[in-house]
Amino acid sequence: MAGDKGQGFAVGEGRIGRVLIAFMAVGFLALIAAGIAAAWVTGELAQHNNAVSHTYEVEVGIADVRRLVEQGETTRRGYLLSPDTPGFLEAYAQAAGALPRSTKRLRQLTFDNPRQQANIARLDGLLRELIAGRARTMDLVAQGERRAAIDEFQQQLSSAQMREIRDTFDRMSREERKLLNTRDAQQQRSLNLFYTVLIVAGVLLVAVALASLLVVVRYTTDLAQSQEQLQQLNESLELIVVDRTADLSRANDEIQRFAYIVSHDLRSPLVNVMGFTAELESATAALREMVDRVEQDAPEALAEEARLAAREDLPEAIGFIRTSTQKMDRLINAILALSRQGRRVLAPEPLDLVRLIGSIRDSMAHRLDETGASVAVDGALPAIVSDRVAVEQILSNLIENAVKYRHPERAVEVQVSGGTIGDRVWVAVADNGRGIDPRDHERVFDLFRRSGAQDQPGEGIGLAHVRALAYRLGGTITLRSALGEGATFRLSLPSTLSLQEKS
Amino acid sequence: MNAHQSVSIVMIEDDEGHARLIEKNIRRAGILNDIKHFLDGTTALDYLFNAADGPMLNGPALVLLDLNLPDMSGTDILAKIKGSDGPVKRTPVVVLTTTDDSREIQRCYDLGANVYITKPVNYESFAQAIRQLGLFLSVIQVPDIEE
Repeated sequence: MAGDKGQGFAVGEGRIGRVLIAFMAVGFLALIAAGIAAAWVTGELAQHNNAVSHTYEVEVGIADVRRLVEQGETTRRGYLLSPDTPGFLEAYAQAAGALPRSTKRLRQLTFDNPRQQANIARLDGLLRELIAGRARTMDLVAQGERRAAIDEFQQQLSSAQMREIRDTFDRMSREERKLLNTRDAQQQRSLNLFYTVLIVAGVLLVAVALASLLVVVRYTTDLAQSQEQLQQLNESLELIVVDRTADLSRANDEIQRFAYIVSHDLRSPLVNVMGFTAELESATAALREMVDRVEQDAPEALAEEARLAAREDLPEAIGFIRTSTQKMDRLINAILALSRQGRRVLAPEPLDLVRLIGSIRDSMAHRLDETGASVAVDGALPAIVSDRVAVEQILSNLIENAVKYRHPERAVEVQVSGGTIGDRVWVAVADNGRGIDPRDHERVFDLFRRSGAQDQPGEGIGLAHVRALAYRLGGTITLRSALGEGATFRLSLPSTLSLQEKS
Repeated sequence: MNAHQSVSIVMIEDDEGHARLIEKNIRRAGILNDIKHFLDGTTALDYLFNAADGPMLNGPALVLLDLNLPDMSGTDILAKIKGSDGPVKRTPVVVLTTTDDSREIQRCYDLGANVYITKPVNYESFAQAIRQLGLFLSVIQVPDIEE
C-alpha cells in the first residue's frame, strides 16, 4: 500500500512538471506570435501612412499644376480683354513661370507609377501646346494686333484642348484616389489579420492559463489527499507501534517473572540437596570413625569395600555434589539478580559521569593500588540523564573487567572517554588488557559465557548484566578488541532516558 | 518458650525435605516442643482454627510459615491469621521462606508477621539459622490462650 502510494507520487510529480512546461511553452509561443503580429502591423501602418500622405502630396501637386494652368488662362483672358490693365501680364508671366516647376515636381512624386507617368507625359504635351498657343495670343496682343489675338483665342477655345487638360487632371486625381482605396483595403486586411492573430493568441493564453490552473488545482488536491492518507497511515503506524511495544513489554514482563520464578523455585530443591549432603557428610564422619575403630580393634572384620567407601568414595561423591550445587547456587543467584535488576524501577536523574567514575575508582582503590592499575578519564564526559544505579553498574562492571583481565606483562591502564552524537551519548572504556578473540565478541555478552584462559574467578555474568542494563536504558553496547591488544567497550545511551515502559 | 512446654509449633511447609531439615535443626537447638507439619495451606488453616488441639481452642502455638505453597500463598494464610479474632490472632508467626524480595518482606510485616527469615541456600548457613531460631524460640514468650 505504502509502495503504491510512493510510486503514484513520483509519476504525478514528473507528469505535472512536463504538462506545466508544455502549457507555458504554448503560452510563450502565443505571446511571441502576438508580438510579431503587432510589429508587422505597426510596420504596415507606417507604410500605409506614408502612402496616404504621398497620395495627398500628389493631389496637392495636381491641384497646384491645375491652379497654375487655370490662373494662366484667366490672366490671359484678362490681358486679351484689357491689355492696358497692369497686373494681368505680370500675373500671367508668374503663373506661366511657375508651371514647369510644379509639373516637374508632380512628375517626381509619381515617378514610381507608370500610369501617372503616362498621364503626365500626355499632360506635358497638352501643356506645351497650350503654352505655345497662349504665347502666340500674348505675342499678338503685344504687337498690337488684338483682333487677331482674340480670333486666335476663340479658335483655341473651340478646340478641346483645355477640356482635355482638365480631363487629364481629373484622371490623375481619380487614379490617385483609386490607389489610395486599394491601399486602404490592403491596410484593412492586414489589420484584420492582426486582430485575428491577437484574438487567437489571447484565446490560447486564456486556455493555457485555465488548463494550468486546473492541473495545479487537481495536483494540489491530490497532494492534500495523499498527505491526509499519509497522516492516517502514520497514525495507524503509531498505534501499531504502541501495540507492539505493549506486546513486547508484556513478553518482557513474562520473561522476568519466569526468570524469577524459575530461579526462586530452583533454590528450594537446592536447599534440600545441600542440606542432606551436609547430613550425609556428618553421617560419613560417624561411619569413618567407626571404620577407624574397627580397623584398630578387629581388622579382619573390615571389608575392603567398606573401608574404601567410608574413606574415599563417600567423601569424593559428597565433594562433587557440594561443588556442583555451589556452582548451581551461584548461577541461580545470578539469574535472580538479573531478573531483579530487570524489575527494578528506573529513576532518571542528571549524572556527572566524571564523578561517577571517580567514585567507582575510589571503591576499587585497594585493588588498583595492589596491581598498579590506573583509571583515567580522557577529556570531558557528556552530560546525561539516566538511572544512576544502572549506569554505575555498567561502568563499574566494565572497569572491573578491565582490571581483572589484564595483560600479564603490563600494568593496567583504563581510559574512559565519551561524547555526544545527536540525542545520544557514548562512553567508551578502553583498556590495555589481554583482549578478546573476535570470535567471542558476541559470546561474551551471553549469560554464563566467558572467553580466553579461565584463570580468573567468575561465572560469565558481568557482561550479560551490562548488556541487559544497557538495553533497559534504551542503549547498546559494542566491543572492539583483538587478542593481546586490549579491548574497548563502547556504550551508547539516549542522552535523556524516557520512561515509556511501565514500572 | 513457656515453661509448661505446651506450646506447639505449627510448621506450614510444602517441601518435605525442608521440613525435615528444619525439624532436625530445631531439635538440635534443644527445642523439644511438639511440631505439627502441614504440607498445604488448607489443612493448616483448618487445624489452626478448627482442630480440637489447635491454637484456637486449645493452648498457645507458634507458626513457622513458608510463603510458597501449592494451594494458596503464604501471605494469604498470614492475612487470615492476623486478621482473625481470638487467640489465633496473637499467635506469633515466623515467616521462613526462600524469597528475599524486599517488597515481599515489607508486605509480610505489614500483614503482621512477627519475624521474617530468608532460608539461606547454603546449608551451613541454613542449619545455623534454624538453630539460632530454635534458641530464639526457647526464650520468647507466647501469649496464653486464657488471656
